[in-house]
Amino acid sequence: MRKPTDRQSPWLAALGCVLSVLLALVMQAAPTRLVDGVNIMPTWPLVAIFLWAGVRPQFMPPIAVFAIGLTQDLLTGAPMGVWALSYLIAIAAFRFRGEEGMPRDLPPVIIRFGGTLLLAHGIAFTAGSFALEQMADLQPLIIEIVATLLMFPMVAYLVLRRRRGGRTGFIGG
Amino acid sequence: MASRRSARNDNDQRVTFSRPLFIALLVVSGALIAFDRPASRSDAFGAFRAGFTDLAAPLLELGAQPIRSVKGIGPYFRRQGALAEENAQLRQQLVEARYWEDLAYRQRDRIEIYEDALDVETMTVQDRIGAWTVADPQGPFVQARLIGRGQEAGIRDGYPVINLYGLVGRVYETGRRSARVLLLTDLNSRIPVMADRSNARAILIGDNSDYPRLEYVGRVPDLQEGDRIVSSGDGGILPRGLPVGEAIRTRSGEWRVRLYSDQAPVDFVWVWPYQRIVPPDQEISEADLQLPPASLPLIVDTPQPEAEAETSDPAASDPVDPDGDGTTEGRP
Repeated sequence: MRKPTDRQSPWLAALGCVLSVLLALVMQAAPTRLVDGVNIMPTWPLVAIFLWAGVRPQFMPPIAVFAIGLTQDLLTGAPMGVWALSYLIAIAAFRFRGEEGMPRDLPPVIIRFGGTLLLAHGIAFTAGSFALEQMADLQPLIIEIVATLLMFPMVAYLVLRRRRGGRTGFIGG
Repeated sequence: MASRRSARNDNDQRVTFSRPLFIALLVVSGALIAFDRPASRSDAFGAFRAGFTDLAAPLLELGAQPIRSVKGIGPYFRRQGALAEENAQLRQQLVEARYWEDLAYRQRDRIEIYEDALDVETMTVQDRIGAWTVADPQGPFVQARLIGRGQEAGIRDGYPVINLYGLVGRVYETGRRSARVLLLTDLNSRIPVMADRSNARAILIGDNSDYPRLEYVGRVPDLQEGDRIVSSGDGGILPRGLPVGEAIRTRSGEWRVRLYSDQAPVDFVWVWPYQRIVPPDQEISEADLQLPPASLPLIVDTPQPEAEAETSDPAASDPVDPDGDGTTEGRP
């Protein structure tokens, strides 16, 4: 009998990781303001980084986190390095460590993500203000934080449900 | 099952956050922030950013398609009741627009007569370049849009961008197939404007709010609420007379502008190929720069050979094809 871990190729999981991160980055930059009433965009890349760093840490080494942040900087027109730096520090500070990795219950995951989110945006605000040589606009950051906190439980629930389901792990087992 | 999980965690999910690499990346990030400041961005960084957006533009365009297809749904359902009224208003505006169209034609003919009489050669009016917005990042650092056309379509840095209602912003970071538009609301946006009624000059300064503020209006500005604000053309940054918005006064007495371009989402825009009008004093200095090197005899009156004269024809070296391609939109 094959082990549950052998059911699917890790390449499938890697593909899922790449695609979800790409989707998050495209959504972050997409012209959603065209749709009436959709003026708020959660920080999808951070959601993707946090969850993948929890379920498959080997897919989110520092270089990957840095690359995602830098890509977001370039796509959104922000000064280069702002989101790269903030994601690196926030994930390093709040990522799940230890044998079990990310817990399978939602509340601790949400709390940990809240800390990551606040730290990342705090650093981004400071670094961005430094690069702009004037105070960055705080209001969009706060809106982003609130929108992300509202959307994260739904995504995290789906991920944790998949983890708790028939398979022992996330996509790719 | 639990033991299997533990085994997997031990073997497979090993923490891979390498400390030396992490520190190195922190240093690189810090260096990038220090050297990629918008106010003093080097050409190399600008070229890198433009090249990256060129690469990403097709992917972003792909992502924008589904959003573009559903964008009309919200207003359609919401405004069903007001459609008849809007239709009547539009018919009225059409009648008025026809009057202005006739007037514009007459004025154009008149200007041509004057130009002939004065023997003045003005720049040919070039076609506007139409472009779709492919990315609309919403962030605290920059208020900009990415459009899906660039240098290949004749777009250059500094060109004004308008939508159906008015001025949207200016082009910066132009790539081969994409360009970024700095909106009037951005913190770094500074546009010389004037009131259409009184010609009162001001600088329109973006502050990331929906209503950019008017600065340097003087102690007793000749402004009234509802004044039509247009670009003044001062400094040759923008052409004169582009519609910007309406003057409004805040409770604190500050003058701000309600932008015309905000009447609709910034989706399809036109880039206006605008050649800066060089003041006569600068014209002389630019002519000096084109003089032959100091080692050659400085004889300005010497006629140039025909072949050289042909290559120095400004029309031949014009980077923008006046005929445009199929997507450019001509003007009457």
